[in-house]
Amino acid sequence: MSTERTPKNDRDLWQSLALDRAVAPAAVSDLEFAAWLEGNLPETETARIDAAVATNPEMRLAAMELAEILGKPLPAAPDRMAVRAKALVGFETERRTSRSFGWLAGLLPSFDGGFGFQRGAMAGAAVMIAAVGFMMGGGLGQSYAHEKYASAEPTTITNPLGVDTTGQLNDLFTDSL
Amino acid sequence: MTELNQIDLRSLAVGHKRTWDAFVVAASPLINAVVRRSLSSFRLGDDDVLDAAQDVFVRLCANDFRLLKTYDPSRAGLSTWLAVVARSAAVDFARRRRQTTSNIDDVPESALAVEDRHVEKLRIPDGLLTERQTLILKFLYDEERDVAEIAQLLKIDAQTVRSTHHKALLRLREHFREDAP
Repeated sequence: MSTERTPKNDRDLWQSLALDRAVAPAAVSDLEFAAWLEGNLPETETARIDAAVATNPEMRLAAMELAEILGKPLPAAPDRMAVRAKALVGFETERRTSRSFGWLAGLLPSFDGGFGFQRGAMAGAAVMIAAVGFMMGGGLGQSYAHEKYASAEPTTITNPLGVDTTGQLNDLFTDSL
Repeated sequence: MTELNQIDLRSLAVGHKRTWDAFVVAASPLINAVVRRSLSSFRLGDDDVLDAAQDVFVRLCANDFRLLKTYDPSRAGLSTWLAVVARSAAVDFARRRRQTTSNIDDVPESALAVEDRHVEKLRIPDGLLTERQTLILKFLYDEERDVAEIAQLLKIDAQTVRSTHHKALLRLREHFREDAP
């Protein structure tokens, strides 16, 4: 240890000193750091983060930069940034996570046969629903058949021109002049 | 446009596409600002800013939105947490990029030099200063920040910064038997 007199100037005094920490401050999570930036921590936790920030120049720089950015209006981001970021999550993810067929799978008993077995059971259920639907639609089928076969029945047109023109036509071809 | 604090976090964390899209639109200005600022000292270009911002979004949705699920709205605002995450991701991005691209010939000699002079400093005993006093002295003298900046960061009055600084110096001078100027 140096035995020189400590400097008069505050800055020089501080810069001639070094912290004597027996234990390095604990790691700080992003959420803890964010809460500290907002001043939302109880006193003991604040002191812990203060200690971590005091010993870490990178955290001091981060704190200053973030406080500055969060305290003022932000310029718009380039459109490409949002376009690229949106593409990271597709509807496929939504389908996978929300299990859109979950309501139907929930009706089925839970088997230990795994996903393959469950898929087979789902397919069977779908076939059954289709069959029931086909049977319920029988009335419609009958009326369709009736219409179809009715159109195939022979029809007799008794008087296609509406009036009896036989005599008049005969008159045209007879040599009555 | 949806504000960040209007985003349905539960829906976001399960990957609903529309919620994600709204989140991206709301978060992009903040992530852009944080990434741009974080990369400014690394001298990287606009394309790097876009790539680093994309890294932030990738982090948020990776592994079934694991990082987003760690966010707790009762502890900090979404904007603040997101800014911390974005800065961390941007700095990681810059370090990776610099490691892969910087040529040793481009680094100034002064940056590579190792100082030979060994200056032994007086040790401040543990517990002599409070953590807050130490932090304020660090910001004032090591970071050369002014009182107003420190007050804004720590959400305290400028006068509190000054008095904390004054009390800390008194303790140091008293401990090292130095009269106040």
